[in-house]
Amino acid sequence: MFALLKLIQSLLGALHSEGTPGQLAAGIALGSILGLTPLVNLHNAVVFAALVLLNVSFAGGMLGWAVFVPIGFLLDPLFDWIGHTLLFTPAFTPFFTSLYNMPIVPLTNFNNTVVLGSLVFAVLFAIPLFFAARYGVVRYRATIAERVAQSRWYRAVTASKFYNVYRMFRP
Amino acid sequence: MKVKVFRWKAIGPLLVLLVIVAILWWIFADGIARHETQKVGTQMLGARVEIQDLHLDLPNGQVRMHGLTIASPHDAFKNLVQADEIVADVDVVPLTEKKIIINRIAANGLRFGTRRQTDGRVAAKSGDGIAGRVYAEAKQWASQFQVPVLQLATGKISIDSLDPRRLSTIPAAEALAARADSSRRAWQAAFDTLRLGPTLDSASATLERLRHARATDLGTINEARQTIDRLRRARDRVTNLEQGVKKGVAALNSGLAGLDSARRRDYAFARSLLKLPSLDAPAIGSALFAPGAIKPFERVLYWAQLARRYMPPGLLPRATTGTKRLRRAGEDVRFPRERALPRFLVRSAELSFLLRPTSTQPQRYAGRLSGLASDPALYGRPTLLGATGPQLAAGAMLNHVRGIPLDTAGATVGGIHFPAFTLPGVPLRLDPGAATTELGFNLNGDTIHARFAIHSTNVRWNRDSGFASSQIGDLIWRAVSGIANLQLEARVSGELHHPQFAVRSNLDQAIASRLRAVLGEQVAVAEQQMRARVDAWINDKAGPVRTRVTDVQSQAETQVAQQRARVDELQRALEQRLRDMLGGIRLP
Repeated sequence: MFALLKLIQSLLGALHSEGTPGQLAAGIALGSILGLTPLVNLHNAVVFAALVLLNVSFAGGMLGWAVFVPIGFLLDPLFDWIGHTLLFTPAFTPFFTSLYNMPIVPLTNFNNTVVLGSLVFAVLFAIPLFFAARYGVVRYRATIAERVAQSRWYRAVTASKFYNVYRMFRP
Repeated sequence: MKVKVFRWKAIGPLLVLLVIVAILWWIFADGIARHETQKVGTQMLGARVEIQDLHLDLPNGQVRMHGLTIASPHDAFKNLVQADEIVADVDVVPLTEKKIIINRIAANGLRFGTRRQTDGRVAAKSGDGIAGRVYAEAKQWASQFQVPVLQLATGKISIDSLDPRRLSTIPAAEALAARADSSRRAWQAAFDTLRLGPTLDSASATLERLRHARATDLGTINEARQTIDRLRRARDRVTNLEQGVKKGVAALNSGLAGLDSARRRDYAFARSLLKLPSLDAPAIGSALFAPGAIKPFERVLYWAQLARRYMPPGLLPRATTGTKRLRRAGEDVRFPRERALPRFLVRSAELSFLLRPTSTQPQRYAGRLSGLASDPALYGRPTLLGATGPQLAAGAMLNHVRGIPLDTAGATVGGIHFPAFTLPGVPLRLDPGAATTELGFNLNGDTIHARFAIHSTNVRWNRDSGFASSQIGDLIWRAVSGIANLQLEARVSGELHHPQFAVRSNLDQAIASRLRAVLGEQVAVAEQQMRARVDAWINDKAGPVRTRVTDVQSQAETQVAQQRARVDELQRALEQRLRDMLGGIRLP
């Protein structure tokens, strides 16, 4: 229930924030990488730092993360297959061998089939997701955003203290 | 309006976050390392790995562990090894490449085979991961040596389980009887279609007329010649029928011979139902000791195969099961490179351990391990292990440097107290006492040569009270209770997927000769009874069938022979009369 409420708050907060549709869509795209790939990996620290340091919607990032975590679990067999295919492609072996014997890079667990497969998928998927999200936000704001903002339940949701926390990180 | 790309005000909170992470690492690093070491160790070895305390001293490149316990992957409530203290000198720089290079390990207070409160097996229970698969393979390998237990449970020789419906002679006899009836009917029908009666009657009348005819009576002579032709054709038909009967008779005789073979098979089947004790010494040795003697080989094979999976030869990319996590573990693929460091390497380890730690005078031993590498081809030297002590000499070499791995191990340990165990199928418990154990193991590629031996000079025997009234129980007890020494040897050799397994001991011959002396007559009587019972069932069915087949055969043969003789006789008589009448003149 708490997670659901938080998700709704994030969603509404992001959609009604002052950020541009592009900022919101970029946040969702970066958040989707966090959600689709196994969380405790070095590349996710980089993604998180980008989410914080770049002027994108942090709420959008949290929203993308929350939405894509269960999808990541569901798609793990696909990620495993993609990673396995890439790691055992003879043409890539010299490249992976170099990475594997470099400092720091092995700490990203790139040599794990699920990590590599999910990262490649997430990065490629982030591009269409960015454009789709930007279009969706534009359409939302142009059509029903105002009516939602005037509704009683929207004010009830945004009045909670979680919303105040969110406002600290809004773009 | 220009949108700023960077959110500079977030640098502060991010730095604060990094500081918090660093502080948390500083506080919890030991706990995390301990937890991860336990998790990875458990997953790799297929048995629970527990560490009481682990301290990382990265600035000095040192890892210190206290209270390491590794459970046995095979025994539920036993530990494989416990260590009071382990200090490892670690190269820090390779850690940035996720490579663990340990220059030296000092392990003190090692103890083997200690008891534990909880079941520490993981691979045996879950079957997951590499360890689980290797465990299952080793178990499967050992299961091919299932030796039938010596059937001496009560000493009874019983044939009660013989069911006449399972004898093959009876249905064979019924089928033969049906074939005989069918043959008889077919032959009779064929005989009827010969229509010999009119031909023979006509020939007799012609002969009679010819006897009273003169040489000038050309009509009668011509009729006689035509009759002779008819008789020849009839004779041909009889000959054809005779050949058919001969074939049929041969088939029926073959059926009778089949009945004899079926009877022999039924004897063998009935004998297999008898609970006859084996009287051969090698079979007795296998039945008594094989179930226990295969276990050391199974365990050594488990470790050898595990080493081959984690220390593969060559430099090709290889996958191993990834570390367990909430998400799918996937596979970790290794990409070793020439002249680079392996993923894991222990250059040297010094081991100090106790044997018989609970006795008043525990014995202290020392061992040395070197070259334990995840990629032996990179390290270029085999893994060597050696240990020596007052009653111990052990050594092992895992040579995975070249394409075909070679694993060898040898150990001689004296003064080992094995627990007493019940010999399968016989009413005895054997307490080997303090014994000397020898193990030799050589796995070259997929060819195994291994030997396990136990020598003891103070064996004690206990009799199982459940067999107090058994005659064979008495017999076995008398045969072995006076034997104070035990010499047991088990050998495995050949291709790993289909090896030979042999077990022999000094008890085999003693038990076999005593069994042969006493049970030989009993076995002969039981076999005789069994044959008599089989005969009684079979003779009821097979006896009448045999008679019927013989009757059918003789009836058919007699009928054919009689008709053939009658045809021949008339033909000869007609020809003779014609010769007499014509005096050698040939008529056109």
